[in-house]
Amino acid sequence: MLELDGLRFAHPGQDRQYAFSLSVAPGEILGISGASGAGKSTLLDLIAGFVTPLSGSLTLDGQSLVGLAPEQRPVAILFQADNLFDHLSIDRNLSLARPHGRLPQDERDSSLEAVGLAGLGRRRASTLSGGQKQRAALARCLLLDRPVLLLDEPFSALDVDTADAMRELVRKLVSARNWHTLLVSHQESDLAMSDRRLHLEAERLQTG
Amino acid sequence: MLSRSAVQRLVPGGLVAAGGGTLLVTLLVLIAVSAAGGDSGRMPDIARILYVSSIQAGLSTIFSLIFGVAIAWAFNRLSFPGRNLSVGFLSAALVTPGLVVAFGLISVWGRAGWVNTLLAPFGLAVPPVFGLFGIVYAHIILDATFAAALLLPRLDGLAATRLRLGRSLNLTPWLRFRTLDWPALRPALPGLAAIIFLLSFTSFPIVLTLGGGPANQTLEVAIYAAVRLDFDLGAAVRLALVQLAISAVLIIPATALSLVPPAGGGTRALPWPEPRGVARLAGLILIAAGLFLGLPLVAVIVGGTGFGEVLGQQSFWNATATSLIVGIGAALAALVAGLAVASARSAARNPIAGFALSAPAYVYLAMPSVTLSLGFFLGAHRLGLNTGTIGFWVLIIAGALLALPYAVSTLTPALTGIEGRYGRLATSLRLSPLQRWRLIAWPLIGREIGLVLAMGFCFSLGDLGVISLFGSENLSTLSSAMNRALGAYRTDDAAAISALMLILSIAVFVALPRIFERLSRAGT
Repeated sequence: MLELDGLRFAHPGQDRQYAFSLSVAPGEILGISGASGAGKSTLLDLIAGFVTPLSGSLTLDGQSLVGLAPEQRPVAILFQADNLFDHLSIDRNLSLARPHGRLPQDERDSSLEAVGLAGLGRRRASTLSGGQKQRAALARCLLLDRPVLLLDEPFSALDVDTADAMRELVRKLVSARNWHTLLVSHQESDLAMSDRRLHLEAERLQTG
Repeated sequence: MLSRSAVQRLVPGGLVAAGGGTLLVTLLVLIAVSAAGGDSGRMPDIARILYVSSIQAGLSTIFSLIFGVAIAWAFNRLSFPGRNLSVGFLSAALVTPGLVVAFGLISVWGRAGWVNTLLAPFGLAVPPVFGLFGIVYAHIILDATFAAALLLPRLDGLAATRLRLGRSLNLTPWLRFRTLDWPALRPALPGLAAIIFLLSFTSFPIVLTLGGGPANQTLEVAIYAAVRLDFDLGAAVRLALVQLAISAVLIIPATALSLVPPAGGGTRALPWPEPRGVARLAGLILIAAGLFLGLPLVAVIVGGTGFGEVLGQQSFWNATATSLIVGIGAALAALVAGLAVASARSAARNPIAGFALSAPAYVYLAMPSVTLSLGFFLGAHRLGLNTGTIGFWVLIIAGALLALPYAVSTLTPALTGIEGRYGRLATSLRLSPLQRWRLIAWPLIGREIGLVLAMGFCFSLGDLGVISLFGSENLSTLSSAMNRALGAYRTDDAAAISALMLILSIAVFVALPRIFERLSRAGT
């Protein structure tokens, strides 16, 4: 279980102090809604370790994540854009799932097949469409196979059909891999895929 | 929380910044202590030097900006074969050695120059190019083209929506300039003016060559004369302190300007041809610029074709080898230090930390090369070191330090942009600093790396300030060899060396960014 309990944060020089409490079960997708600037991305930054909380706890299966540097956290992230290094091939991007070891070609191929991109490994990332890029990034999440998946409006730049297909794919993979998944978005179509919802308003999470 | 990778990038940058800052403070203390204890026999008239330098720098700045705006405007309005190459040459003005420009002017406008040779059959002659006119002219050649290179991308980069609006309103050429071009140019002018004034105010090789005596000398030249001609260190350090104080004041507005020269030429959003008369005016401006600003450089190349004699001199080959080795060493050192600082800046989240990291590098922008080498010179004397022995290393270190501000200002935006786009992704993927460099930074900043190496090499190649104090019979660069040749009226030798320096500078400046861009992308 991923749990945040009274996790507080304030941007330097600002009075607003966020306080987050939530829990996410394995295989569950928790949707977080809220207006632009409400602090949705700040919540993900706290879990990913890009910003340091003032107080409170953040645990995964009882183990605290607060003292861990971003690269030590068991977290995979799918951003709205720039999930791939455009100047590298898809294969090279996927191999970064194991930056300190070699990733066998068959693992790369099977992950691409799982997201419907079989045979595109040698293509340069910049030549792919927006939907293909997000799928390739999802393939890398499969290879990373970290227990927490953070989705930061990953479908908002896609057309309706591509976004639908991506949502279905993510839903399937989260269930299959038991990932604790947080999805932040202000689009109803995205939030509809979540198992539960919370709404971020006035720096607090409320039952949506 | 800072990621491990951020810490690993902050530490080397912090060390370079601390080292650069410590060295700077040490040099300043050495100069100040020597000033306090120095015994000056004959103190130059500082007020007069400042007055003359201000007039000269003021005129250079005003005319350089006027011509710079005109040239940028003309390039923006015209399309012709070779435009991009011509714009590339404009950018090369930043690294063209001042000594070469001075020699080019003498070749065209000197007593036995091209113009007087043409006029002689008619019994006519133009006055010599020495003195205030020659100095300002030489500065305009360098600084007007530099200004044009920096201003042109602002015009070429005007938003297509604004151009469409202007065109739909059927703006006249004058209204087009006033409502669209001028607002894009104006914000750059104060910073540009400050930097041109600073460059002209601290000018050394041009004033030394074209000054025509003490009447037009700058503080730099006065410092050089105090050390090398009058052997009066006390006077030199007092002049250096004045120089530093003025440079420090001038550098504040100058740093507001991005110093990265555009290498190549921008893309224009929407073609909007001018009426024929205006297009003709633009063409005339470019032809005039080519004649008055480009001709002296053409004269350098043409004059250097008779290089046969110089090739037989061992001293020429020694100077060439020293210049190449020192230039490569200075360029590599500037690159490594610049990468460390820029990389740390891209990792630093706190703006104060970012400022603290880059400030020591930028301070060297206010440190004229003669003053910098005076600090090293005094340090060597105090430690009892032979300036001839350590001169080679001082040339490399000083060359790197003088190029460092340009290296940092070129690399920082590139690395900060990469960090903003890919930093979090790279951290979440647990990439090591080496992997970040090899997979992300190197493929994307090859051009900037080539540019930094080119600037480091060219600045070192054209430097006359450091070698003027550390040079000897055994240690000579192409700059000092050319200066000696000019002093001894060996014009053919000076012409050959000048041509070699010009060709080397332009070739390196044009080629290296392209070569490194290709190299860096080859592996992806």
